[in-house]
Amino acid sequence: MATAQLPAPPVRWARAPFYFNSAAHLLRIEREKATTLGELLAALRAVPSESIFQHTFRTLQEHHFIREGFSNDYAHWAFAACNEVGLAERLASVDVREFTSVESLRERIVQIVQDYLNRNPRAADRVAMEPFYFCASDAVVVPTPFVGRNLAEFRDCMNQVSIHSIHYHFIEARLRLKLNSNDFSVWLESELDMGRIADQFNRIDIYTSTLQDVRRTMVRVIERALHSQA
Amino acid sequence: MEPRKDRVEERAAEQTGSKVGTQRPVEAPPRNGGGEAPEAPFRERRKRPRISETPPAPPPPPRLDDYEPIIGKPELDELRFLARPLLGKTVKMVNSTSLGGGVAEMLNRLIPLLSELEVVTRWDVITGGNDFFEVTKAFHNALHGGDYVLTKEARDIFMMYNEQNRQRMQFTEDLFVIHDPQPVGLVRSRERNRGKWMWRCHIDLSNPHPDVWGFLRPMVEEYDATVFSSPAFSRQLMAPQYLFFPCIDPLSEKNKELDPAYIQKVCDDFGIDRSRPIVTQISRFDRLKDPVGVIQAYKLAKKYVDCQLVLAGGGATDDPEGAIVLQEVMEAAGEDPDVIILNLPPWSALEINALQRASTVVVQKSLKEGFGLTVTEALWKGKPTIAGAVGGIPTQVIHKLTGVLVHSVEGCAYQIRYLLTHPEFAEQMGKNGREHVKENFLMTTNVKRWLLLFQILLGMVRKEKTT
Repeated sequence: MATAQLPAPPVRWARAPFYFNSAAHLLRIEREKATTLGELLAALRAVPSESIFQHTFRTLQEHHFIREGFSNDYAHWAFAACNEVGLAERLASVDVREFTSVESLRERIVQIVQDYLNRNPRAADRVAMEPFYFCASDAVVVPTPFVGRNLAEFRDCMNQVSIHSIHYHFIEARLRLKLNSNDFSVWLESELDMGRIADQFNRIDIYTSTLQDVRRTMVRVIERALHSQA
Repeated sequence: MEPRKDRVEERAAEQTGSKVGTQRPVEAPPRNGGGEAPEAPFRERRKRPRISETPPAPPPPPRLDDYEPIIGKPELDELRFLARPLLGKTVKMVNSTSLGGGVAEMLNRLIPLLSELEVVTRWDVITGGNDFFEVTKAFHNALHGGDYVLTKEARDIFMMYNEQNRQRMQFTEDLFVIHDPQPVGLVRSRERNRGKWMWRCHIDLSNPHPDVWGFLRPMVEEYDATVFSSPAFSRQLMAPQYLFFPCIDPLSEKNKELDPAYIQKVCDDFGIDRSRPIVTQISRFDRLKDPVGVIQAYKLAKKYVDCQLVLAGGGATDDPEGAIVLQEVMEAAGEDPDVIILNLPPWSALEINALQRASTVVVQKSLKEGFGLTVTEALWKGKPTIAGAVGGIPTQVIHKLTGVLVHSVEGCAYQIRYLLTHPEFAEQMGKNGREHVKENFLMTTNVKRWLLLFQILLGMVRKEKTT
């Protein structure tokens, strides 16, 4: 029996392709360390911005596989080494995606610690079980061979790139873009006029998902869009 | 308590072998394999250890592509990309021994991988007399905080051999990585050469003997960069300090995937019953690993949950103190047939791998620790891990996420009970632990770190601005 086949919908080509990159990081040990919350506060004000980046953005990448609430190194230390649960909760609530510069993120963290110590002055000098060692990250951009020129190719690349590439484009990107968005959403909106997918990407919760979950969610969103196009 | 005669006899018979002393009943354990001849009594089998009496020939080192199933192609591509600008550059790595010890083991894996990436790397080993190595051993202990009187003679011996090696070696490479304090003085050759010099310190310098550190420090300060295994192990120095975690090779004998039949065979050989939970600590018989504390924790836990305890390690044959600790461990174990104590020779990597994989829970209840690579090994095998919160262990074990940290016998006992009765939580933690190792503590990650450091020191990279 002969079947009539519908013609395939025309491929919508992006005005400019998406070049997937990744970033490789090398950890530097900084001079500062803190044995009390008071020392932590002083060091937070003094360390280079690469250090704030390491203990917030980058640590999220290093622990990308944890779903159960890993947020940043300061919150973890306040909880595990200082037993200051209230402070840990407030620090853990800091969502790096709300910040488009490390300096504004630093201000927010300093403000939280300062407020806590104003209300709990004796906590400032209480010695922690383990010191907090400040580190910093030297990042190097690494190109990948993956290039997406339309939505289907973009999905295929998304399935193949490393998790570091996802972090680079989806989370770190806002520091480059200075926008509350990410490289994927910006490209989808500006090069493919797919603002709805871009918005859906921006609503993915990175604190209750692993980066693999993030990848899977994005691929699902793209596949739904491809299916509806067809 | 007087040691049981049969244990002492077994120990004498098995100096190179396996089991030291267990009191398991004679009955055979359940077996998964079929079609075998009727089994000899259990004790009889265990008296014929199947570990060879001499070290087997090492297998050839893996090639880069062998890692693809583990880390994925994009990660390998990243390594190749990072190596590309270094094409034509040469590296020299120097340490103090080509055999034995963690550094030589690591270099045996790292250097072939760098060479495969066409970053030509030469490995040189310094030479010295007994007097030199006596001094460096004393320095090693003093740098870990031990008492020591630094004499002019010791300083002269140290410098004389460093100078001899400096004269003997050629320093024509572009990059020099000097491992640990023994060859630290080679940096004096940099006056005649261009090139970048890195000092890779594998030991804990958090509390060094002031005289020894005062003597070594001026040489360390001549390096362009230093590399430590933990921020806690480092010192304040002028040159930038980098953090390279120690790492394991997922394809080594100790960590590679094993055939389930082999795991079963090892358990059978050692009299371990796989139908009941197995709690294992792998470590030397050393008081700092607290094996007696592990037995106490096991005994507390056993009141509530049936399990066996396997204590497997070495050091009781070549270390007089190890033999004393082993005796203490056997006394602490008493007549409990479910405590299985194994004194293994250094070439038991496959057996240790099998024991870790057969375990329900792995314990590393150290009182003091370096980085704790046995913890890394357990995490890599996806095992729920209970570990003392000392040294580099908290870097690996994030409490209740990648493992659990304990500070006491009672805490350890509680966590054994909890993990054995909450298998879903234990399984998730095991998965997290494996991912943590994959991300941070594998050999391939360290290859990447070296490539990045080489590029940074040679001024080849544009650093990404992350502010």
